[in-house]
Amino acid sequence: MKPQADQLRAGAEAASAALPALMLSAERLAAALVPGAHGQRRAGMGEDFWQYRPATAGDTARSIDWRRSARSDAQFVRDREAQVAQSAAIWVSAAAGMDYAGGADRPGKRDRANLLALALAMALLAGGERVALAGQPPRPGRLQAERLAEALVARPLLDRDEDAPPAEALRPGQRVVLFDDFLGDPQPVLDYLARAAVLGVQGVLMQVLDPDEDGFPWRGAVLFRSASGALRHDTRDAAGLRAAYLARLAERRAQLTGAARMAGWHFGMHDTGAAPSQALLWLWSVLEG
Amino acid sequence: MLLIGPIGFLTPWILAALAALPVLWLILRAMPPSPRLVRFPGTRLLLGLKDPHPVARHTPWWLLLLRVLAIAALILGFAGPVWKPSPDQAGQGPLLVVMDAGWAAAPDWPQRQARALRALDRAAAAGQPAALLVADGTATGALPFLPATELAAQLRALRPAAWETRYPPDPQAALAEAPAGLSVLWLSDGLDHPGRAEWLAALSGRSSVTVVPPEGAQQTLELVAGDQPALRLRSTGTAAPEVLAIGLDPQGMPRELARLKPGESAQDRGVTSWLVPIDLPSELRNRITRFEIEGQASAGAVLLADDSLRRRKVALAGDDRAGEGQRLLSPLHYLRRALAPTTDLIEGGLGDVLQAAPDVIVLADQIGLAEEPGLREWVEGGGLLIRFAGPRMAASERLAEEPLLPVRLRAGGRDVGGALAWGEPRSVAPFAADGPFAGLSVPNDTTVRAQLLAEPAPDLADRSIARLSDGTPLVTRTVLGQGQLVLFHTTANAEWSNLAISGLFVEMLDRLVRSARASAAAPEADRAEQPFWLPELVLDGFGRTTEAEGLAPVAAADFARGPAPGAPAGLYRGGERVAALNAGGPMAPADWPGARIERGAQAPGLDLRGWLVALAAVLFALDALGSAWLARGRQGAMA
Repeated sequence: MKPQADQLRAGAEAASAALPALMLSAERLAAALVPGAHGQRRAGMGEDFWQYRPATAGDTARSIDWRRSARSDAQFVRDREAQVAQSAAIWVSAAAGMDYAGGADRPGKRDRANLLALALAMALLAGGERVALAGQPPRPGRLQAERLAEALVARPLLDRDEDAPPAEALRPGQRVVLFDDFLGDPQPVLDYLARAAVLGVQGVLMQVLDPDEDGFPWRGAVLFRSASGALRHDTRDAAGLRAAYLARLAERRAQLTGAARMAGWHFGMHDTGAAPSQALLWLWSVLEG
Repeated sequence: MLLIGPIGFLTPWILAALAALPVLWLILRAMPPSPRLVRFPGTRLLLGLKDPHPVARHTPWWLLLLRVLAIAALILGFAGPVWKPSPDQAGQGPLLVVMDAGWAAAPDWPQRQARALRALDRAAAAGQPAALLVADGTATGALPFLPATELAAQLRALRPAAWETRYPPDPQAALAEAPAGLSVLWLSDGLDHPGRAEWLAALSGRSSVTVVPPEGAQQTLELVAGDQPALRLRSTGTAAPEVLAIGLDPQGMPRELARLKPGESAQDRGVTSWLVPIDLPSELRNRITRFEIEGQASAGAVLLADDSLRRRKVALAGDDRAGEGQRLLSPLHYLRRALAPTTDLIEGGLGDVLQAAPDVIVLADQIGLAEEPGLREWVEGGGLLIRFAGPRMAASERLAEEPLLPVRLRAGGRDVGGALAWGEPRSVAPFAADGPFAGLSVPNDTTVRAQLLAEPAPDLADRSIARLSDGTPLVTRTVLGQGQLVLFHTTANAEWSNLAISGLFVEMLDRLVRSARASAAAPEADRAEQPFWLPELVLDGFGRTTEAEGLAPVAAADFARGPAPGAPAGLYRGGERVAALNAGGPMAPADWPGARIERGAQAPGLDLRGWLVALAAVLFALDALGSAWLARGRQGAMA
């Protein structure tokens, strides 16, 4: 394992240590691709014993548990606990702008997003969930956390300004968490949400922003250049643009929030200047609810 | 020089830079202050936004005008503008530059070179031939006239010589190749030199002569021989500079040992001269290696110290009784201790020391020795004979016939403070204000118990230069030939008096020795014996010492004539003697009948350079203020 992955993992361990084991809220999903040991606290299809109940009409003779029935006069049927498959897919944007850090005292956005993603993944894994990066087969266990950490760090930064989550990797019953700054073209994200809504996939959009992007502290003559250099904007009076920029940012957020709500998703914001545990708690509560 | 209306430009080609001003205007105009480059992921959100407060993308025209004007002022300033320059009156014909290249030309040598180079440049521009007459005594034959460009390097390499300016002896022969229509630029050192009048006449006859006299005054330094060595400071100006005495300090480092102030001044035909007494303790004086006039860098303002200023040679003659008696009883012991720090001592028999040609001979309590052959001749030739009385003289039968005494002595002597005498020991009376001991203070406890008395004579009072408190002579002096005879009427040891163990004794001897002539006859004799003088240390024209390399020995006859080509000013060694050849001496200011005199080495006219550069500075300051004001306005708009 690379040292960088080591660090990421250690950071994620620290961030997720305070969290209780996170269990995805049980929601029946019609077709789980991968059966998971996720007790639904009711009788159903599964492997574990749930309860004995008196046999009713319609129960086949094969289903009667004879050993239990022999101890009384009635016939009992052995129910098993219903189990559903639950998996979570995590995606962190690799757009060129994600390595931006407004100050030396702040981490880059991608670093913070990786940290949040891995912390979340570890919490989920600790609860027995199957977790994977989007597009990869989800697996349970602590070992998966290490694979995830490696995969997160190993993914190279793109030289484009936008990175779209892989819509073709969406599977029904997944819960998806997207980390991005959502400052690029919003259309791929909207398309992704529409497809997710069709497949019944729920999830969270997590917007990770640097305080500079949130507050727009520039003044005077500034030549703005996007991370890849593809876009530029020249201004003589940056401070005068602040209001317009903030308005556009709010508009973008409103657009994403609306689209998320329509698809049954959540939209959250995280500032790299703030503590990561805040965002993690929010993510947890959203995924739990 | 380029003339535009009343303004001339010394370096007009710089004006070509003015052509760049419109380009500069365009560049300054098209270049707004460069924006800060910021990498910002949210740039997409900014696309299409308009600046709410449009700020001028161009520098305001008045700021631009200010900057361009400032740069124009700089360019004009560096082009060397001169308001109403006096047109060069020298003709456009062939040019002859006469360059006085003696030591007197050294102080403002760079200005002379620059002036001559300007003239050569003009001749080169006009395509006229030019010639350079370097008046340092080395030019021979007819002057070659060359293209002016070829002379510039020669002129730059010229250095003033450490001797007087010398013109070639025959002007007509030197000017044999001179073309017609000659214009002459004479860079004079302001002094008259042999042959100058002939040259001026010869040049005036065939051409127009422009003379550039030096700006500053010429100053020279000369040693005045005499009992008390002094310096003569001559100047064509009236200000009296100080003279620095430079020598080795006790650590052996050359440094300024003293500053001598000029005394009385005297005017003589445009030259002011001061006598500068070298009023220094002997120890200090002996260490001096050179005198120089403060602030005058020329060989004429430097006087190298040689033997004539150095320690006197003092011979102690007579038997030294240290062998048979105790050392503190020997008169020679006290004399040795008193004289050794400031003089060169020679000891031996009288016949031997006479061979060494001393300046002073001291005889302590000797009788009969004065008949030594050659002693009288030595004194008459300028020697100083100092004699001390003593028991042996007092006991002599033939004291009255003893020669080489300043006064006739009475036999027997006088005992004033002895055990069998009634009187008290006598103290020394204060010295007369005009005698050789003037100014020396007499300690109260100096007493004389015994003395030799002089026969009363009419001139006894004149011959006494020190007396006891009762008026009897203590020291008498007379002149014999060119020399002097001095007699101390008491002993040189503590037998008759405690004078010998007082500080006064040292001071009196020092005064006497300093009054001795420094081997007046010796140099001629030496020069005859010493046909050649070897240069040891020579001066360049600026008065700086350089190693004497590649210089041939100088024949004594040439040496006597003073510094010349091949024998620059400096220190020369001949056998035991070291003699200085000093450049300074009498001088006479030159006059220039019929020649045009150019005042000032710089081109006349009002130099505008400083004003224009100052104007540019003011404009740049205004520009800075304007820029600051603009920035403040922008910030106000942002707030």
